[in-house]
Amino acid sequence: MNAPAVILRNVSKRFGEVQAVRGISLEVQRGSLTGFIGPNGAGKSTTIRMIMSIIHPDAGTLEVLGADAIRAKDRIGYLPEERGLYRRMRVAEFLRYMATLKGVPPAGLGRRVEGWLERVQLPEAARKRCQELSKGQQQKIQFIASVIHEPELVILDEPFSGLDPVNARLLNRLIRELHSQGRTIIFSTHVMHQAEQLCDRIVLINRGEKILDATMPEIRARFDPRTVQAEPVAADPSCADALARLAGVEHAHWVPERRAAELTVARDVDPQQVMREAMASMPMRSVELRRTSLDDVFVELVGEALPPSEESGNG
Amino acid sequence: MDERSPMQKDPAALRRVLAVAWREFRHTVLTKGFIFGALVMPVVMFVAVAAIGALVGSQMAPVSGTLAVIDPSGSVAGYLPAELGPDAVAAEARKALERNSTLLPEGAAGQAASQAAALAPRVDVKVQQVADASQEDALRAQVQSGELLGLAIVPAELLQANPVAADGTPATFTLIVPSKSPPRLTGLLERALADSIVKARVQKAGSDYGSLSTLLSKPATAVRRLSAEGGEASESKVAKTLLPMGFMMLLWIATFTSGNYLLTTTIEEKSNKVMEVILSAVSPMQLLLGKILGYAAVSALMLGMYGGLGLSLLAAAAMADLVSVKLLLLLGVYFVMAYAFVAVMMASVGSAVSDLREAQSLVTPVMLVMMVPLMLWLPISEQPNGWLATVASFVPPAIPYVMALRVSASSEPIAAWQVAASIVWGFAWVFVFLWGGAKIFRVGVLMQGKPPSPRELLKWIRMA
Repeated sequence: MNAPAVILRNVSKRFGEVQAVRGISLEVQRGSLTGFIGPNGAGKSTTIRMIMSIIHPDAGTLEVLGADAIRAKDRIGYLPEERGLYRRMRVAEFLRYMATLKGVPPAGLGRRVEGWLERVQLPEAARKRCQELSKGQQQKIQFIASVIHEPELVILDEPFSGLDPVNARLLNRLIRELHSQGRTIIFSTHVMHQAEQLCDRIVLINRGEKILDATMPEIRARFDPRTVQAEPVAADPSCADALARLAGVEHAHWVPERRAAELTVARDVDPQQVMREAMASMPMRSVELRRTSLDDVFVELVGEALPPSEESGNG
Repeated sequence: MDERSPMQKDPAALRRVLAVAWREFRHTVLTKGFIFGALVMPVVMFVAVAAIGALVGSQMAPVSGTLAVIDPSGSVAGYLPAELGPDAVAAEARKALERNSTLLPEGAAGQAASQAAALAPRVDVKVQQVADASQEDALRAQVQSGELLGLAIVPAELLQANPVAADGTPATFTLIVPSKSPPRLTGLLERALADSIVKARVQKAGSDYGSLSTLLSKPATAVRRLSAEGGEASESKVAKTLLPMGFMMLLWIATFTSGNYLLTTTIEEKSNKVMEVILSAVSPMQLLLGKILGYAAVSALMLGMYGGLGLSLLAAAAMADLVSVKLLLLLGVYFVMAYAFVAVMMASVGSAVSDLREAQSLVTPVMLVMMVPLMLWLPISEQPNGWLATVASFVPPAIPYVMALRVSASSEPIAAWQVAASIVWGFAWVFVFLWGGAKIFRVGVLMQGKPPSPRELLKWIRMA
């Protein structure tokens, strides 16, 4: 039972002239919550579709729950990026249909559907036609459809896109609940703070290649923080110029909304040394070393390499 | 890559296929569109035809009044009361309908004619014989005022053996009617006057009209067609031409209505973006098979409904013997084949495009091929064993339609080897279509953007 939930070995996929995925290898451990991050068109959705056996790799092998996704379909819950509903079907009927396809026995199915609708705060939607729901409500129904059969492995492709903050928080809570029940969860996003909040492992994909695969503590350790935030008592933008002249500071700029200066520390310099010198240079309210955010890591690894257009292709 | 089909790899495949099939069937049959189009519409049409008939009957008001006849010979007017009597009017209506229904066998035409005769107007026309031609002006005035239904002027020379007028032209009789007189009444009076004149003329020539008309009546025909084995069978025009057409149309309508549903729902699943949600639960092949199976049930329902109605009508017209169990079984086999061709083509087209407008360019060539049997209906049913029929029987995907025409054209039995060969050949092509269609479907369902060209479709078949 301790074998990884998903194993990819040198998986590649090409669509015509576009090499969507290039030799990706990775393992997703059972019970983990893994985030696939990357810019639009990076190859996240293609990788997920291959995990789901919706498309097949040109090269490499995949193993999902010890077999392939076709054999394990009933044990996997999948929320695709391109998702919709049967517009004229009633909500409860749609959920029953999806559950039946996923092998849920008819006994108790009605209660299960009602229970889920209550959990997403849509108990009154059961008799409504799908087309009568708002976009956010439809997304909640799509989410239920992907987990109603209580899958071991849940794969969510951009689950938060289009959700308002209240519904995003609700979905966040539901994902945490599923995780706490021991289910393996993979979700893709290009919103870094969601990945940072939820995931215990991050896989960064860019231009079809895996460029990062690590836990959040590992990432923080690896991407040593090099930004010092100094808040002078004077709160004057000219302070940034003075601080920029300190030894070991590459550059500094003033952040008006924080009434503070941000100092980028040179690679071979100890940030603690810069912090001490900053304290000594002028009266300070606070001086702190900023935590490395996933955003920083993303920008560092991908920022320079972003494709000219982020509109095209599969995610 | 594992080359086994998803059905082989997935132990729950049948459950998924049946779940998809049931959803497609249920959501098609229990929609207002289907109930209205396939069930209510035919009933509405049937009721409308009956209602129009009743309406026409109600508009045929009874005809009553007086017809004045200036008849110097005094021998024509005597025949008129009988010629304008209800029996003569009904008999004439029956004759008219039989003349217009030459394709119907005698029994069916007779039944229809008696219904038509029942609709004939009730006639109560009195005849006023006038010997004195000088009263014409006064009688004209009465016609004008509506006191008389009409005035007929029958010159005496019409009763001669060679009826010519004084100026040498053929003699005629004159019928004067009011301006608002309905054409139906004019026709009725015209026919009664002409028949009365002929009767009076025959009488004057010293013959008996009854025996003369018996001598002149043309005998009815009973066509017996000899079979190759030496037996003989009666030939009915309905069996020879209408029945094959009926069967082919039934096949055509049942398969294409379902095919159209298959096309539109596949396009809808793509445009709604529900396709990938479904593909997370079923493989493309399972989805395709489920959809084909579901709409096969819809098609079979329609075929059963309309076919059953057709068979009951045949039974009501005492023509059920035209349809044998063997013929129905064969038609069942050709139905399965026809549906499989249409379903695979429609599902492939539906998977390849994003909206109905785009589908048109790919569906049109398909439709043109399928229209061929409709266009060849007459030559094939006239010569079910002719070279055209034989060749067309082996051209996919027209095979089942052409064969339905041929096997139901009762006049010439089709060689058993040809029936067997068409079934084997046809189903072999069904599998070729299914193989190519499944590949297109598998690629197409996940494709977005501009519709593929036929060349790209071939590329999909190669790459899938």
